[in-house]
Amino acid sequence: MSPDELFLERLLTALDSLGLEALIVGSVAAAVQGSPILTQDVDLLIRDTEPNREKLVRLAAAIGAARPIAVSELSTTLTLIGGALPVDILFDRLPGNLSFPSLRSRSVQVAVGAAMALVASLSDVIASKESAGRPKDLAQLPILRETLRVKRALEEAAASLGGKV
Amino acid sequence: MPDDPEKLVEQVLAARARVAAKLPDIDPGDLLLILQSILRPIGSGKRFFVRQIAPGRYVP
Repeated sequence: MSPDELFLERLLTALDSLGLEALIVGSVAAAVQGSPILTQDVDLLIRDTEPNREKLVRLAAAIGAARPIAVSELSTTLTLIGGALPVDILFDRLPGNLSFPSLRSRSVQVAVGAAMALVASLSDVIASKESAGRPKDLAQLPILRETLRVKRALEEAAASLGGKV
Repeated sequence: MPDDPEKLVEQVLAARARVAAKLPDIDPGDLLLILQSILRPIGSGKRFFVRQIAPGRYVP
């Protein structure tokens, strides 16, 4: 496995051992579903509860990061820095009014080594980036939309062959 | 690196043969890039992250 895969496996193992339910969202969610993109950090979506906030402190320690800090005074997003890679923590919903329960209902499971990731669907990643509207989100949209179209075409082809890919 | 690059190539070519006609507006190079990214499994040494080593300079 690459260092990136090992980092994700370590993060997922820590989440599992803490009992912290988290959805991988954003660019990493798109990348682990086949989008040919790179990013600088991992975005996790969790429910905003006091127990979950306490678990975040232990998650930070588990991945070698410092205590969670706010991205800015105007943002509810926290970030874990100081580990191998930054991990951003978002609470309850994503841009586009995408709630944790709705995202979870459409999420997919992706194996990363011995760990299992709960990952926002590629359609939801695209919808959140469309709503966020930041230049770096908009720049990724063409390749994400093309990846979604290719995945759907592969699924249709597999269905027409009776499930054979 | 994938365990068997030749096997990955065969899978990519077979997939392209099934879907390329349905996606004529996608650049052929982009289609190959997307297919290999979809078909290459996690655990085969995939990279997801870039790190900034200096302003404007990034490495995987």
